[in-house]
Amino acid sequence: MNLAPYMAYFKKSFLNRSAYRFDHIMSIFSNCLRMFIFWEIYKALYGGRQEIDGVTMSMVTTNFVLSMGLDAVFYINDYFLPDKIGNGSITTELLRPMSFKGRMIAENMGNAVFNLLFRFAPAFVVACLLIGILPPASPLMLVLFVVSAVLGYGVLWTISFAVQMTAFWLLNVWSMTTIKNVFVNVLSGTMIPLWFMPDWMEGVLKFTPFSSIYFTPIQIYLGQLEPGEIAIKCAIQLLWIGVIYVVGDILWKCGQKKLVVQGG
Amino acid sequence: MRNDTLNVIGVYTKTIMKAWFQYKVDAVLRSLAVFLREATGIIVIYFTLLKFDSLNGWNMYEMFFLFSLLFLTYGIMILFFTGLRDFGRTVRDGSFDRFILRPRGLLFQIIFVNADWFAAIGHGGLGLVLFLISAGKVGVSWNLGLALYYIVTILGGVLIQGAIFLFLATLNIYLMETNSLKELFYWNMRKFAGYPISVFHKSVQALLIYVVPFAFVNYFPCQFLLRKEDMGQYPEIFMYMTPFIGVGMFAVAYLFWKYSIRFYKSSGN
Repeated sequence: MNLAPYMAYFKKSFLNRSAYRFDHIMSIFSNCLRMFIFWEIYKALYGGRQEIDGVTMSMVTTNFVLSMGLDAVFYINDYFLPDKIGNGSITTELLRPMSFKGRMIAENMGNAVFNLLFRFAPAFVVACLLIGILPPASPLMLVLFVVSAVLGYGVLWTISFAVQMTAFWLLNVWSMTTIKNVFVNVLSGTMIPLWFMPDWMEGVLKFTPFSSIYFTPIQIYLGQLEPGEIAIKCAIQLLWIGVIYVVGDILWKCGQKKLVVQGG
Repeated sequence: MRNDTLNVIGVYTKTIMKAWFQYKVDAVLRSLAVFLREATGIIVIYFTLLKFDSLNGWNMYEMFFLFSLLFLTYGIMILFFTGLRDFGRTVRDGSFDRFILRPRGLLFQIIFVNADWFAAIGHGGLGLVLFLISAGKVGVSWNLGLALYYIVTILGGVLIQGAIFLFLATLNIYLMETNSLKELFYWNMRKFAGYPISVFHKSVQALLIYVVPFAFVNYFPCQFLLRKEDMGQYPEIFMYMTPFIGVGMFAVAYLFWKYSIRFYKSSGN
């Protein structure tokens, strides 16, 4: 497989993002603000207590800083395919001698790398200075955190991929995407650390992919998991990537057939 | 006011409804999506307070009650001020020039030619649900006086937020792009407003009281009804000021609009 055209798209989306500076600064500001709000609220909730259920305030802080930081990096354009179906350019896209899905990944990766350098890094520095964050449990755990975070991105990407495929059938995917984001926001731990979920919710969460996105890497970072557990959790991440991708791919194939019918 | 004004409003409203509810399934899905998106914060509060019982002395129902005012006022406000929310686009694509040519007041047209019903149903519906869940459980013995206070508070809250929208819309006459300012001064401030403001740093509290006075939309009126301990750090009079601030802010924003509109230059050709 020739990677050059994909690299070109990777670069293109990276450069595209560099064009809107003010917008960009605002989004960093919004990220920091969200982090700050949750930090203040949890300070009030803890009310000076050292720990609650074995979870210390600094663990909560680390959870917020890392999950919101990753959230800033994992920005995925949920309208990549819907826009192209909406304006009809999907037909020429499919004629190109390259994989459409490959292109989707390449452009998203360009975005992610841009976000990592220019959104995560500054917000992370601000957060560390203002709020503070625990160091990783060990250098090895830091490496495993990065590995697991990449897998977490994979999970989030496949979810977005599958939801985007509904654009073949729905006039407007905005509603679907918004509802998807509600699930991701609530259940992935960016707004409430999953330690504090009620027991019955934890049971439900086991059967969803959401805790694999941010929470698994963070647990690894904090050294909360034994080596065996790390292996299992990462395997679960891989499993979700596989399952959701297959579902999305089936929709993708059906959708293309339907598109041909429309065009004929 | 001309005698066919009501007629014009009627025709506009009919057209708006037709346009927004053209595709029924889509309309239902969209309203539901707005409802759920806004409910995200509520679900998070629910889970958090299941664990922690209270936030600065506010229990779950009191928090819902606090949130409900924020959503109710926005739901009503957006029915009237969608045109102000989207004013930047109206100016940029030149359709504002059409408004100028019509024999009706400009603000009148902006207010009545569009209304985001999905946002109204999503926000307003959520506000109503939260109110119904919490109103009986927060220890308020409702009587006519309190009901009146509540209604006046909603009107005040609508005017406060309407004034912010009008002010930001007016800035469009001077600056081409104000979305980022709206993000900064409206939406980001609103994120704080769902919580008892006593939780936050003093500087944030000052912002919410004196600069973008969201505290008067829900926090202080709720304090009047609930009398929580953390009211002690603020002047008593804050609990009675919502309608006056609403009217005052809207009057100032209106004068600013009246003054600025003379400088309007079309962006079109």
